[in-house]
Amino acid sequence: MAGQLLDSLIAVVSGIGVCVLYFAGSNYLLERIFSDAEGLSSYKDQWRRAIQPWLFLAPALFLLCVYLVYPVYETIRLSFFNFGGFDFVGLKNYLWAFGNPEFMKAIYNNLLWLVFVPTLSVVFGLLVAVLADKVSWGTLAKSLIFMPMAISFVGASVIWKFVYDYRGPDIEQIGILNAFVMLFGAKPQAWITLPFWNNFFLMVILIWIQTGFAMVIFSAALRGIPEESLEAARIDGANEIQIFFRIMIPQILVTIMVVWTTITIIVLKIFDIVLAMTNGQWNTEVLANLMFDWMFRGGGDSGRGSVIALMIMIAVIPIMIWNIRNFRREEEGR
Amino acid sequence: MNYFLSAIERTLLTVISAALISIPALAGEYNGPNLSGQTVSIAGPWLTADEDSFEAVIAYFEKSTGAKVDYAGSDSFEQQIVIDIKAGSPPNLAAFPQPGLAANMAAIGGLVPLGSKSANWVKKNYAAGQSWVDLGTYKNKNGKKEFYGFFYNVNVKSLVWYSPENFADSGYSVPNTMEELVVLSDKIVKDGGTPWCIGLGSGDATGWPATDWVEDLMLRTHPPAVYDGWVSNDIKFNDPRIVSAIETFGKFAKNSDYVDGGMAAVGSTDFRDSPKGLFTVPPRCYMHRQASFIPAFFPKSVKVGSDADFFYFPSYSTKNLGNPVLGGGTLIAMTKDSGATRAFMEYLQHPKAHEIWMARAGFLTPHKGVDLNQYSSGTLRKQGEILQNATTFRFDGSDLMPGSIGAGSFWSQMVYFVSGASAKKVADNVQASWDSIK
Amino acid sequence: MKPASDQKFCFSTILNSTGLLFLVLLWILPTVGLLVSSFRDKDQLALTGWWTALSTTERNEFRRTGISNEQYELDGNYVISGKLIEPGGKLIQTFSTNFRDLTANNAGETAIFKDGSLFTLKKNGDYEWISAVPFTHKRGKRIFYVAKVPPTFSLDNYYEVLTSEGVGQSFINTLKVTIPATVIPIMIASFAAYAFAWMQFPGRQFLFISVVGLLVVPLQMSLIPLLSIYNDIGNYFGVSAKSYPGIWLAHTGFGLPLAIYLLRNYMGSLPREVIESAKIDGASHFQIFTRIVVPLSVPALASFSIFQFLWVWNDLLVALVFLGKKDDQIVLTSKLRELLGSRGDNWEILTSSAFISIVVPLIVFFTLQRYFVRGLVTGSVKS
Repeated sequence: MAGQLLDSLIAVVSGIGVCVLYFAGSNYLLERIFSDAEGLSSYKDQWRRAIQPWLFLAPALFLLCVYLVYPVYETIRLSFFNFGGFDFVGLKNYLWAFGNPEFMKAIYNNLLWLVFVPTLSVVFGLLVAVLADKVSWGTLAKSLIFMPMAISFVGASVIWKFVYDYRGPDIEQIGILNAFVMLFGAKPQAWITLPFWNNFFLMVILIWIQTGFAMVIFSAALRGIPEESLEAARIDGANEIQIFFRIMIPQILVTIMVVWTTITIIVLKIFDIVLAMTNGQWNTEVLANLMFDWMFRGGGDSGRGSVIALMIMIAVIPIMIWNIRNFRREEEGR
Repeated sequence: MNYFLSAIERTLLTVISAALISIPALAGEYNGPNLSGQTVSIAGPWLTADEDSFEAVIAYFEKSTGAKVDYAGSDSFEQQIVIDIKAGSPPNLAAFPQPGLAANMAAIGGLVPLGSKSANWVKKNYAAGQSWVDLGTYKNKNGKKEFYGFFYNVNVKSLVWYSPENFADSGYSVPNTMEELVVLSDKIVKDGGTPWCIGLGSGDATGWPATDWVEDLMLRTHPPAVYDGWVSNDIKFNDPRIVSAIETFGKFAKNSDYVDGGMAAVGSTDFRDSPKGLFTVPPRCYMHRQASFIPAFFPKSVKVGSDADFFYFPSYSTKNLGNPVLGGGTLIAMTKDSGATRAFMEYLQHPKAHEIWMARAGFLTPHKGVDLNQYSSGTLRKQGEILQNATTFRFDGSDLMPGSIGAGSFWSQMVYFVSGASAKKVADNVQASWDSIK
Repeated sequence: MKPASDQKFCFSTILNSTGLLFLVLLWILPTVGLLVSSFRDKDQLALTGWWTALSTTERNEFRRTGISNEQYELDGNYVISGKLIEPGGKLIQTFSTNFRDLTANNAGETAIFKDGSLFTLKKNGDYEWISAVPFTHKRGKRIFYVAKVPPTFSLDNYYEVLTSEGVGQSFINTLKVTIPATVIPIMIASFAAYAFAWMQFPGRQFLFISVVGLLVVPLQMSLIPLLSIYNDIGNYFGVSAKSYPGIWLAHTGFGLPLAIYLLRNYMGSLPREVIESAKIDGASHFQIFTRIVVPLSVPALASFSIFQFLWVWNDLLVALVFLGKKDDQIVLTSKLRELLGSRGDNWEILTSSAFISIVVPLIVFFTLQRYFVRGLVTGSVKS
């Protein structure tokens, strides 16, 4: 055991060490070679200034190219090839996708997720942020609601499987949702198999996780609203609800949009929850899970898997463009 | 990568392995070559008790040869092996629970052919040898048929598990025909009980237990030729004969009087959970149709043979189709060649490698050279008898279908079926997905 | 006037409090259920809801009597006696030999069996079976009973999960993955973020937008192309494709877009004057970065570290692909998934292992959440 620990320690330290060595070493060398002893804006100084940003950026850009850009290229290429990636098939995979009912189902379900998850996470996040600011135990409340953020999707799925557990009507339920329903005299349900509604039972899990994220950011943004503007409204006789809608919301609108888009991107890539809870059965298929299915299951079909992957990417792009535009506007304002 | 080996190299390897085969086995003992310092890596689906048993098989090889064998069992084996083969980093050997998946891997050049010597060995030494050779023969990347793997660890699926004491206390007797089975089911309902426990839940693989039901019912309602045509899709999935088999399954699974928890529970109950209903007080059900491996999921206090037993899932007395048996098994195929790997394959053909696991639990083998007395229990021996009494033996059809059908749409459509869709509708859907991969 | 406003204030506070309390309860209920369940007796856990954990439950069971060779003669009769259940805990209410009629006899009563023998079962499980003729049975007769079971809590479930082989080792493996996979991207991203925020170079805007644009790439898509590259490199150098440095770099690559985005936003919001004055004093960019910007960015760095730590710790997919499954490489999430797969029917294993998998992230989160929140907020909220 001690040996293993030591091994691990050495591995960890050397991994980090290499990284430190690169940044410190390369910049030291740069400054030695192109030292500006000859005065400002000399020829060497210009060179140094031109090279240095790239020293800062090089590892990041290299890793991004290898780990993200290259796979995108490879995926686009594979989307024109057959299941094993060795015969060119043109647009066949794309035509397949749009004629496939399961694919359309996944798109439909993804749209449902897109409408409800970001919206409800934002609504609950705002609600908690506003309420927590007004009570003495607000900090505690916020940590508790934030806690699911720390739980893995696998862990969360176990937790919720336990909530949704179904037993026949004659025996005692161990899932709390069914126990609750039976309290009101209704029949227990196998929640994750109920067509259409089961999508919402899966969404609840992601909302449960993401509300904390939204709440934290809103709570800080609300604190950033100048106290004077709130006071002025109160003096004018506005009640708390009016203040919330007329003053607070407009003030943090940009923040709301940032949070909304962030959660939207997470939703588009949602995979683990569906895989663990239903694996797309009972009409709960979503794009990322369908892609995983086609990529890896039953021998896999990298062509079709790639097409679905590209669809997810294409869906995210408009949201990213919007985000980037926002960012640029802020840049100009700076 | 290994599948790019030249023809000469491949021939050489075959010669070497042929030489290894010809070493005579001495009175049940295995003497391997000296392979110290060499490593064989194996990936497979066996976990927990099965993993321990396979480790015991491995230990014997390691002791005999000095080689090191790493076995990594995984619950997500089916995906893991695809990722590893596609990326070109496979283990040396893979134990495929589904020949269909192995066929897919052969089609993209992921498996190393074993050569005709191995095929002949299987033909000669396995009971019904040719059928096992056929199950391990697939088309390679260029469409040429080659022999890729042999079966190691077989199971019988046509079994109905029950509690003999519950039967005796209620005055029920083991049915000998399907007609009697239906009469018994109705009688249990009339007595206020629930005859069946059926659970299709299995994480990523939810739905597969239903495919076994349908296959068993196919063999009991139609001649084996129809089964073969269905598996190869020469007979369409939405053919009336297949639809009727699915409907027969529906008579059990979609009858809320027949199944524990009602129809709604079938799809969402974990298959490992469902047999537990046999042993509750009062019993939640009296019968459970499942393969020979299921006792691993019985409550710990249950002793197989006395507290729990099984009978053959009977055939219709009126249909004259004999006693068909459905089975499954694990196929060992080579994903990365090496001398030590070949030696380990030889070892798995030796009776000793079978007897070690037979003496433990959950292992049946068609190997004719093994000592049947090595079976650890009367239960296994009885399953062996069912295998021998079979007038027809067919391999699990969903495992033979292309992966995206047999481990994909067939599963998910059966789940759709038990949640209310009609047999015709789901059969149409499966056929549509089959058409789309042609 | 004043009291009225106070009253109103009071009323709205109560409303706020109850509303919030309701939400908080709703949010923690599922986790509490898991936690409570993981400490419960495994039989109770599978039969009754966790909210009944503190109350006494009724359970139907059966046990077997002794067999014929345990019999002895007493006053001309043949007797088998003993304890049907372990003493302590359970109390038998009713019993029967027929599972369809569990309440046939009350505990303490004597039942007359079909063969005329007399069977007495006390509440504590002591039984006495008296027959005029010798017993001949080879298997104990099944006695079905309804028992009251007091609540029991124990660490048994945890003991079972932790003693199953390799969980300790996989814990270390996870740390070995997580620590460098957190530190390395932070370093690389902060240098890049600084360059994007405070250095002049052609294509700055375009490059930054491209980096942020990479947030759209679904992770699953890159697995196979990357593993192929790893494999070629591994073959070239004769090493295994599945290695720790490999997974560190993979997590770094996947984490970079978000890290650069958040850190650049934070660093960009630092006061321009501080950096300008340092420049005038002759400090190089490297010096400004290490001596001024990094110390000022600690909240953002800490926040991203926690974010990345949680992400890597909780990751399953990347570990499945880039690390092997052998004992020296399998990580906790992967190990637990194997447990779930092979023991999917055992709620006691599921609940306790799920809790083990979330306990470290929870500790990290609760001790460091102040930094987490501060950094996260400055990344996305513009003052």
